Amino acid sequence: MRNPYEVLGVASTASSADIQKAYRKLAKKLHPDLNPGDKAAEEKFKEVAGAYDLLGDAEKRKRFDAGEIDASGAERPQHHYYRDFAHSDGGHPYASSSGYADFVDSDEALAELLRRSEQARANRRGRDLHYSLVIDFAESITGANKRLTLPDGGTLDVTIPPGLVEGQVIRLRGKGAPGSGKGGPGDALIEVEVRPDPRFARDGDDISLELPISLPEAVLGGKVRVPTPTGDVTMTVPKGSNTGTTMRLRGKGAPRPGGGHGDEFVKLKVVLPKAPDPELEEFVSRWDRKAFNPREDGAS
Amino acid sequence: MIMNKKQFLSSADIEVHTLEFWIEQQWLIPDQTTAEMSFSDTDVARAHLIRDLKGDLGVNDEGVDVILHLVDQLHGLRRAFEQLHEDLRRPAG
Repeated sequence: MRNPYEVLGVASTASSADIQKAYRKLAKKLHPDLNPGDKAAEEKFKEVAGAYDLLGDAEKRKRFDAGEIDASGAERPQHHYYRDFAHSDGGHPYASSSGYADFVDSDEALAELLRRSEQARANRRGRDLHYSLVIDFAESITGANKRLTLPDGGTLDVTIPPGLVEGQVIRLRGKGAPGSGKGGPGDALIEVEVRPDPRFARDGDDISLELPISLPEAVLGGKVRVPTPTGDVTMTVPKGSNTGTTMRLRGKGAPRPGGGHGDEFVKLKVVLPKAPDPELEEFVSRWDRKAFNPREDGAS
Repeated sequence: MIMNKKQFLSSADIEVHTLEFWIEQQWLIPDQTTAEMSFSDTDVARAHLIRDLKGDLGVNDEGVDVILHLVDQLHGLRRAFEQLHEDLRRPAG
């Protein structure tokens, strides 16, 4: 292997920042997945990556400079790149035709040629079929089993994982169009849309909700029913709660990736009766209104 | 090879919350035919690409989105080109 400093094109006195900069510049140019048609890119990239493994690590670099290790130990093991799979006949859900779909749409001869070529492949994998599915907000948190009715009258059972995020795609292997020969069927790709629930808002694993409470509940406290995605629960509003007071229902949010659940934050909102209430007016007029002015500093 | 979530995390050398984020971003689309997610070698290779982009190449999340989209289009084009090439070489009739 060549001298790693030469490979990265830096001086032996280069700072670690310069080494990283030089490596990034080369890696962007040479990464095999960014050069799917360049067979030589893999060897070149391997050399550059090997040099960076050595010089990008302060300890290894020191030992290399001292002559304790040589560059041959820096070679990276065999690595499979995405390009080796993305181009295979086996097919995958990431394939995209948007780079040439306009040619096919505008040129019948080309479309026909592409169609015939595709059909001529003896072991052709079936096409992926794209569907969309709308679920309720609560279902996106708790997960659900849904049945999708297909245009041809068939059905597809879809398991919605708990904590699904709007726009997530669910892949069902082998549920796409049939293939020919030894090529298996394609996949079904289902984009899931979450119908918003006016009561809830989601923020990562947590959800939030604004809960109207009455004046007596705010002043005196009490037990109230609170909706959660898994059904109503009872929550105790503490005495002297105010609009904006936020309570936390632990574990009532979406599932967390590492285990456990997020929380539901309940923001209280004190609401007065819609119609004027003479009894309330009479009561408040007797209350010493001078004692509290929320617009004055220090009011609490 | 088809692998479960745990095997995938170890092959791709990433943490579970990273995986969840990548799935949310649609950078990875695991197979969910059964209740347990499953992953292919293609998914592992794609995960390595994402890791290289974010780590060694210093690309941010928006950049990863754009790059994956373009790389997928490039492979689609290469495939169509290859098909045309085969068709043109095949004797007529």
